Amino acid sequence: MSVKETEGTSNYEYVTARVKARRAKLFDEEDYRKLLRMGPGEISRYMEETEYETEINALGARYSGVDLIEYALNRNLAKHFEDLLQWADGRLYTLIARYLRKFDAWNVKTVIRGLYSGADSETIAEDFIYAGEFDRRFLDRLAEAGSIEEAVELLEGTRYGDSLTEAFADYEETGVLIPMENAVDRTYYEGLIGGVSDTDNRANQLYADFLRAEIDFRNVRNVLRIARSGADIDPDEYFIEGGDLFGASELQQLSGSLDELVTYIRDSTYGDDLADALDRLEDADSLIEFEHALDAALMEYSDRLSHVFPISICPVLSYILAKEREVENIRAVARGREAGLSQDEIETELVML
Amino acid sequence: MFDVILAMVEVSVLFAQSGLEALTPLQAITENGMAALAVGLAALGAGYAERGIGSAAIGAIAEDESLFGTGLIMTVLPETLVILALVVVFLVG
Repeated sequence: MSVKETEGTSNYEYVTARVKARRAKLFDEEDYRKLLRMGPGEISRYMEETEYETEINALGARYSGVDLIEYALNRNLAKHFEDLLQWADGRLYTLIARYLRKFDAWNVKTVIRGLYSGADSETIAEDFIYAGEFDRRFLDRLAEAGSIEEAVELLEGTRYGDSLTEAFADYEETGVLIPMENAVDRTYYEGLIGGVSDTDNRANQLYADFLRAEIDFRNVRNVLRIARSGADIDPDEYFIEGGDLFGASELQQLSGSLDELVTYIRDSTYGDDLADALDRLEDADSLIEFEHALDAALMEYSDRLSHVFPISICPVLSYILAKEREVENIRAVARGREAGLSQDEIETELVML
Repeated sequence: MFDVILAMVEVSVLFAQSGLEALTPLQAITENGMAALAVGLAALGAGYAERGIGSAAIGAIAEDESLFGTGLIMTVLPETLVILALVVVFLVG
């Protein structure tokens, strides 16, 4: 539930060896090309012959079509990431957990949204991804909470407690969920970077750099969305601390104009890595492509790190990203096929290296 | 560090005075003993090297059992250190 106090030294060798084996088993371009030509039923059958066999078989009786694929993907993701946390010891554990808390945030948000929409506890529990640090029992208790207030009380002892309690007051006043969801996201991102940068190890420093890049990209994405939608939203509310790229005030200025923002990023340290993506953003004016380019840039960076520092957190990180991406890709293909999109359209949704 | 060496010298001087013929004045340990120590240190090094390789090998084998042979060979490779160190024993002894 809360952070496991870990003892002993990190077992990098063991974890990276296992992670690299699993990384090799991920779908490659060839697989995606095959998937692109299939319908949802065929995709689930194809998945049955790969990594996802157990999940597809276990869930096959209960769901069908795209739902089956989606639940199988989530379950498989959870299985793999839970494994990571189980293997890792010592400092490595804290480094991995830091990133995987994303799923805790996801689960907490699922609970809040589910309770808000009046879903029963079973429906909520179906949408959990058991990959974070909260264990199954705790999450099930959360799902069984009768009201949002109860859920917030349950979460009191966790890292989300303080900010959620605060946000809950807001929620009671306004009746919208946004403050609570923001509180969860913010806690996650703040916990992401805190305490990692004071290490001396080069690989860990790079990991911190990577996390900072992730926060920066998240900020860029938020600002772009705000700028594009033209809505009158205060970008300050969505700003996440900890990044290098901008401070809150710069963000405020830049959110007004897309061109200024693009120039600003171009001149920043990410300019080289994102040159392609920025060009495409200016030409095609397509936000999706830009966001995918951001993802691809992060993945490429993590891949490079995992070659430079084979015995460190980096290969694990690169695996986590690649796995997440795979799940998203398969989901995009399945959903796209179901909605009757053309192959080309689906292909723009995929992020491959 | 220096103190230790001085202490060793003193001890060896004592040894020499008490009539242990096999030891020269500056020698606190016999040649055979030195050789044994060398083997021991080499084994320590090999063990440390095997620690990392072994855990990586077990990780790989857990994922893919066909790697058992490769993993085993990789794991015992540092053992050559000890074998080479054994040569010293024969050279000295």
